[in-house]
Amino acid sequence: MNEIEIHLAVNGIPRTIQSEPGCTLLEVLRDKLGLTGTKEGCGAGDCGACVVVMDGQAVNACLVLAAQAEGTQIITVEGLAQDGNLHPLQSYFAEKWALQCGFCTPGMLMSCYALLLNNPNPNPEEIRDAISGNLCRCGSYQSVVEAVLATVKFSQEARGG
Amino acid sequence: MIHADYVAPASLQELLAILHQHGGQAKIIAGGTDLIPQMRLGKLAPKLLIDPRHLPLLGIAEKEECIHLGANVTHTQVLASMLLKKEYSALVAACQQIGGPPVRNRGTLAGNLANASPAADSALPLLVYDAQIVTSRLGGERVIPLNEFYLGPGQTQLAEDEFIREIRVPKMPSITKTVFLKLGNRKAMAIAVASVALRLSLNELGQVIEARIALGSVAPTPVRAYLAEAIIQSNPLTEEIIKNAAQAAQHAASPISDLRASSGYRSKMVAVLTRRALEMVCQEFASGNSYE
Repeated sequence: MNEIEIHLAVNGIPRTIQSEPGCTLLEVLRDKLGLTGTKEGCGAGDCGACVVVMDGQAVNACLVLAAQAEGTQIITVEGLAQDGNLHPLQSYFAEKWALQCGFCTPGMLMSCYALLLNNPNPNPEEIRDAISGNLCRCGSYQSVVEAVLATVKFSQEARGG
Repeated sequence: MIHADYVAPASLQELLAILHQHGGQAKIIAGGTDLIPQMRLGKLAPKLLIDPRHLPLLGIAEKEECIHLGANVTHTQVLASMLLKKEYSALVAACQQIGGPPVRNRGTLAGNLANASPAADSALPLLVYDAQIVTSRLGGERVIPLNEFYLGPGQTQLAEDEFIREIRVPKMPSITKTVFLKLGNRKAMAIAVASVALRLSLNELGQVIEARIALGSVAPTPVRAYLAEAIIQSNPLTEEIIKNAAQAAQHAASPISDLRASSGYRSKMVAVLTRRALEMVCQEFASGNSYE
């Protein structure tokens, strides 16, 4: 099978990648770009460990062919911190202990990040829906909801609202 | 990694020509949320994946007699549509319960139908709305009523070189109520144990003119409960009739036992869900908010 050339922007950086046509976005991120923050759990769209944000929406990177990501803007967990400063979501995940083993955390963070992009003031029910595609076998769900609520409060105060 | 070539044609003609040329060796990939897991499990092994998302197809469009839902419409787009929320609430309710947000952001209605799972959430409301599937192939198109579309688990009337271009949903009579109920082991990311969609349309006198009941996860395909529909259509909606119709719905079900539930439990749940759905719709009619 002939390799194809794919152009996409990952965390704001334009990338050109040679890939087999059957490669998934997850494989490109981890194996070709070395961005191993995004995890592979089930590889079938059930666990959400591979969630990244593609053109503003949460997607399972294991179910997107890299070829289908042509021309898109991807944000991974590596793209959250800016200039060495954690994103407020990451700070509050740490403060609220919204993780134990941490394997689900990149996917959780990206699902929550996508939620806040589309809905800056979610209620707890909307947060639960946003992370309903992310499994956490340590059971940190409630702390994740609290971390998102704390982030929302912080952002509103920062905006003077 | 999956082993297949990929092509994203820019026109419908090009897509149909490629599909015709490769026949059974090719598969349409839109969201990939069903296809990629099936390929990874080795259940499907197409040599070529054809992506229709670059085609200039309809999104969600209202025309005189029908709502047109193009092949690339995702579950998330259904949820965001004010038109569908207002007029086709059971479809919105079903799409809300498909997978989680990442799956809904990518997965399409057309894909959910083409995958032909007996548990497909979106198929039930589309059945009760009398939806039709519009397909294209080289040299022609055809319109298939959804209640004739399914042949078995994973099997449809679609020919190897045929492409679902859009789903058409007729406009409903003005006094119409619908409901979708899904019983799953979790609230999200759950394949249904049993599910039901119901539509009742009334005339000005409050008599039922159209009753539609569709059942999921309890037969080899999504099915209509015709006997139960007939009971509702020819009788006043009393408690007794609702009970009879709920029992009659069980005749349309031929459930299997699997890891999610036993056949006996599923069969009982068909009656329970049908009764609940009928009671909910009756209550809505009684509260009078459809007579505005």
